[in-house]
Order: sequence, then structure tokens, then C-alpha cells
Amino acid sequence: MNTRSLRFRLVAWYASLLAGVFVLLGVLTVVVLRHYLETNLRETQMRRARQIADTLLVNAGQNGDGSIAPEIESFYAPEANDRFIRITRDNGSVLFASGKPKDGSFDPSAISRAPLTIQGALSRREKLPDGNVLLIAALNYRGKGGAYDIIEVGAPTAQIEAMLSQVSLLLVIGLPVVLIVAMGGGHRLVQRALAPVDQIARKAEQITQHNLSERLPIARTGDELERLSVSLNHMISRLEDAMQNSKRFVADASHELRTPLTVLRGELETVAQDGRLDTDTRETLGSMLEEVERLAKIVEGLFALSRLDAGEAQAEWVQFDLSELVATTADQMSLLAEDKGISVSCQAAQPAMVEGDRARLKQVIVNLLDNAIKYTPRGGVIRLQVVRQNGHAMLCVEDNGIGIPREALPHVFERFFRVDKARSRDEGGAGLGLSIVKSICTAHGAQVMVESSASGGSRFSITLPLAEHEPVKGKPE
Amino acid sequence: MRILIVEDEKKVADMIARGLKAEGYAVDVALDGQNGWDMANGCEYDLVILDLMLPKLSGREVLQRIRRKNQQVPILILTARDGTDEKVQNFEAGADDYLTKPFAFAELLVRVKALLRRAPVNRSIVLHVGDLEVDRSLQQVRRAGKKIELTAKEYALLEYLATHPGRVFSRTMIIEHVWDQSFEGLTNIVDVYVRHLRGKVDDPFPTKLIRTVRGMGYYLSEEVEA
Repeated sequence: MNTRSLRFRLVAWYASLLAGVFVLLGVLTVVVLRHYLETNLRETQMRRARQIADTLLVNAGQNGDGSIAPEIESFYAPEANDRFIRITRDNGSVLFASGKPKDGSFDPSAISRAPLTIQGALSRREKLPDGNVLLIAALNYRGKGGAYDIIEVGAPTAQIEAMLSQVSLLLVIGLPVVLIVAMGGGHRLVQRALAPVDQIARKAEQITQHNLSERLPIARTGDELERLSVSLNHMISRLEDAMQNSKRFVADASHELRTPLTVLRGELETVAQDGRLDTDTRETLGSMLEEVERLAKIVEGLFALSRLDAGEAQAEWVQFDLSELVATTADQMSLLAEDKGISVSCQAAQPAMVEGDRARLKQVIVNLLDNAIKYTPRGGVIRLQVVRQNGHAMLCVEDNGIGIPREALPHVFERFFRVDKARSRDEGGAGLGLSIVKSICTAHGAQVMVESSASGGSRFSITLPLAEHEPVKGKPE
Repeated sequence: MRILIVEDEKKVADMIARGLKAEGYAVDVALDGQNGWDMANGCEYDLVILDLMLPKLSGREVLQRIRRKNQQVPILILTARDGTDEKVQNFEAGADDYLTKPFAFAELLVRVKALLRRAPVNRSIVLHVGDLEVDRSLQQVRRAGKKIELTAKEYALLEYLATHPGRVFSRTMIIEHVWDQSFEGLTNIVDVYVRHLRGKVDDPFPTKLIRTVRGMGYYLSEEVEA
């Protein structure tokens, strides 16, 4: 999973926000609930204490103290209801004290006495040594004779605690469930919202300089994504216009240059053939003709490139053996290498059938080999190799020549690029050979790679898809 | 022999006309398509040299009109665009040959002569240039009676030059004849082969037969150089 993706980040944000809110809400619920329940319990105890005072103690004078205990037992049944009731006289004697509750949840004898000095009502929380907590309401009831009683009514908080822990448990279980549901839902939601982004990205990746006429899909949703895809499409059409303009410019320019070059060449040739010229003039004219020739080559190269860009390479598509073509071409050019004392080894024994424009692919081999010969010093070695691997034919041209500096490597296929301006001009190159190689390869769906170290040696490799049909054994043609 | 040149670039037309006149042809020039068609329609020509980019009537249209009227006259197309598709279409429309600008006049002349079937196609079995003998049946070369061993390409190059002693062959013509177009434009393969050929054919002998015309090409001659 890509943690930097918009989808992941949105869902993560969404989920953590939700978790935060959920936790806060849970804590708040527990706190408020506890407060409410405890207040409620306290008030109930206090009310009961008053009731005892108002109904029983008022009549204590008439009925005698002895009647109180059975009345409390019959009205309130503290043991059966897990309650604690104690009435203490002002002299400290206990008038009534409830016994152990039936469920034995607390020990009433362990509950401390409320101080006799309290005036009015007082509520307290008492923690027993056995860990039970009771809320106890104490009330000072003053009788007619000036004597008073302290009435204490209490109940354990265990029920509240049990309820709160159940609520907490529910919240703790609920949190991950809610989170999972939220993340799942959020993921789907984000995915739906971002689906057009995926489509746009996929399409945008497919658009290269060769299919600039294609456009991105536009989701008619009226949202920001629609605006984005429309803007991107506008950008692509501007790019297309610019590309077309530049291609048309190259085609028109090379076309327009040809006519004056024809005239120049023709006139110079006519003059050069005049037998009365002296040697110097003849040399000058020859030099001019050479430059015209070079200009013509550049124009031709540019024109070839603009045609390849326009996708005209598929005119003569045939199936042929790349190994055989490489071997033949290497043989034809062997004298060029021999002339410089360079040895060429060609390992292309295994047939490799590919599909394409044979003449153009031959030009690729010629250009690469010519380059290798140019930039390998006397006594160097050039290795040509054709291998088949994974449904592809790979052609490698490797030399141990002067190499290409690292910073120049990404640019060697650019038009008119020269690693060393002085060096290659001496060799008469126009700086178009490798761009033509690249363009031809692109037109054939082939990949060109170059590796080199400045210390020496370059290696050009071309990977072409093999033709589907295997060759018939034996030599073609 | 009467040749019609239909070419809107006056300088190019003049240059071709001058060169062809010097070779002894009668030449007419039309500077636009309409004029070209009128002239081709009104007069019998032995050859039409036709530019494709023409005002008033396109070269393609002129080509088709001439073909509709006259199947025989050879037509040589001049063009500044050499797209393969276009080439094929024009051949289908009836063009006989094709030349891309800028061309060496020598190339134009070779093609014109070939189209007029007046080219002195040298069919002799043994070609002679001075004391050099090129035996085409055996593919053997002798000079002053001594056999010279040549590789296949060296032989092809020498034989090509020997077909017309004295005529300059441009590098483009040599590459197209001896190798193929893939070598055009980039390599100095012709120069290297000529150097090797000289080493075998000329160096051991006092008279140098293989001559260079700087900027134009090579030729064979036994005449003493000026």
C-alpha cells in the first residue's frame, strides 16, 4: 500500500479524526454518566433519611424507641435491598443499625460513625477496607425535646460501577468496529471520488509525442476533477500544436533548403569542371562543394527525422533475420575498422527474426558501428552481439574507445548534440546519427540504451520484439 | 533529342538546361505547371524532367495528364521531399525515375541518359583503362598484365568506375551502386575503399589511374593530370 497516496492519506485522516472524536465522546459519556448516577444515588439516600426522620422519628416519642427497629425493617428492609441504615442518638448510642445485606456485598460494621457534630445534612463517600465504596447521607434530626439523632442512609456504588464498566466495555468494543466500518466506507468513498484521477493518470501516461491527438477522459461530474481534466486536455492540445508546428517547420525548412542547395551545387560543379582553373581555385571550389555536401546531409538527416516522427517508417514492413543483417553489415563495414586497426568481433550466429523496415534497421546498425569506429582509437576492439532473450532480440554494439562522459549520456540521442564539439566535427558528423537511430528504434517499438564510463568504452544496446513466427532452419533469402 | 524541364525555380531550371545543352540536347523550360502541360501537350518530347512542387498546376497533375495522353515519354521526377510513400505513389502514377534535391549534375545526367536509352551502356566483357583490364566474366583485374587480387566490394567499385572512364562518379552514386542507401550520409566508406583500391591498383605503378575531384567524387583516367 502506498502510504503517500491521496487515498491512503484521506482515509487515515478520516479514521484518526473519527477515532479521536469517538474516544472523547466515550470518556465524556462515562464521566457524565457517573456524575449523574452518583448524584441520583446521593439524593435518593438523602430523601430516604428525611423520610425516616419525618415518619418514624417524629413518632418515636409516642411509640417509644423500641418501635423504630421493626418499622424500619418492615418499610425499608435494608438487608434485602442492600442498604445501610443507622440511627445514632446524640449521646452516641446506636438506636438502629442495619445488618449485613443479603448478598453480603459490604460489611456494615466497618462503616465509620458520622461525627455527632454535623448540622443539617451531609453526604459522604466512604471506602471500606474490603474495597467496597458506599455513598452515605447523614442527617441531623432534632426532636422536640432538644435531643437529636443522626440518621445515616447508604448504598454501595457497585451497581453504578458495574453499569459504567459495561458502558465502557461497549465503547471499547464499539470503537474498532466503528473504525473498521468508517475506514471501509471512507476507502470506498474516496475510491469513487478518485476513480477519475486514476483514469486520467493512466491515459496521461499513454500519451506520448506519437499520439498527442488523443485526449484524457472527462468525467462530466461538474467537480474539480472535470475542471482538471479539461485543463489538462487544453494543455495537451497546445502541446500538440507546438509539436506539429515544430515538425512542420523542420519539414518545410529542409524542403526550402534543398532548392538553393541544388543551385549552389550545380553552379559550383559547373565552375569546378572548367579546365582553366588553377589548383588553388580548384581546391577552394572543392572545399565549398564539400560543405554543400555536408549541408545537404544535415538537411537530409533532418528530413528523415521529421518523416520518422510523422510515423512514415511502416511503409516497408517485412520479417527478416536480424542476426543475418548484423553479420552482413559488419562484414560490409569491416574495411572501415581494419583501416584503423580496430578488430570487430561479431557474435550473431543464432537467427533472430524481427519485423520492421529492413533498410532503416540496417541504417541503425551502420550508424552505431560507424560511431564505434569513429570513437575507438587505433588498435581498439568492437564487439557486436545479437542475443535472444524473453521474446526479444537484443543487439549490442560495444567498444573500448574513448567513452562518453556521464553528464553527456542522457543527451547523446538529442539532435545536434556533440559530446566534444571539436572532436566530432573533425570526423564530419552532423550530430544527427544517434537521433536517427533513436527515432528508427522508437518507430519499431524498440528500446535503445547506452552505457559508458568516461574512462573508456561505450555500449549501445537495442531491444526489439521478436517476430511471432519462428524462422525456418537454414539461411533466409 | 528534345527534353522538357518543368521547374518553377528558375535558377535550378537554368542550371539543368545549361548542363544538358552542353551535353548536346535540345532543352525547353517551363516555369509553372500549366505552362509545362501546355508545352508537353503541344510538342513531342523525348524526356520530361518534372518538379513536383509547381505553381498553377501541381507536378502530380501534370504527370497524370501527360500519362493519359502519352504512355511512352519517360518522366524523371525531381523532388525536395523523398518520402517513401510519395515515391511509390508517383511511380504508380507513371514516373520512370526519381531524383531528390540537391543532386549532383552527374547523377542527373546518368539518369537522363539511362532513360533515353542512349546511355552508352558499356556491355563489353573486358573494360580497358590505360593498361588496366577489368574482366567482367571472370571478375578479374589485371594491370600491365599482372593479376591484382581485389575483394568483392573493391572489384565492384573499380568496375563501376571503369564503365565510364573520365566521368566523375559522386559518392552518392557509388554508394547506391556498390552498397545501399543505408550507408548514405554518414560514413566515409567510399573514401576508405578508394584508398585501399589505390594501394592495390595504383601504388605499384607509375601512372595513377584513380583520380579525385575534390567535393565531387572519383573517376578513372589514363590521361596525364593537368
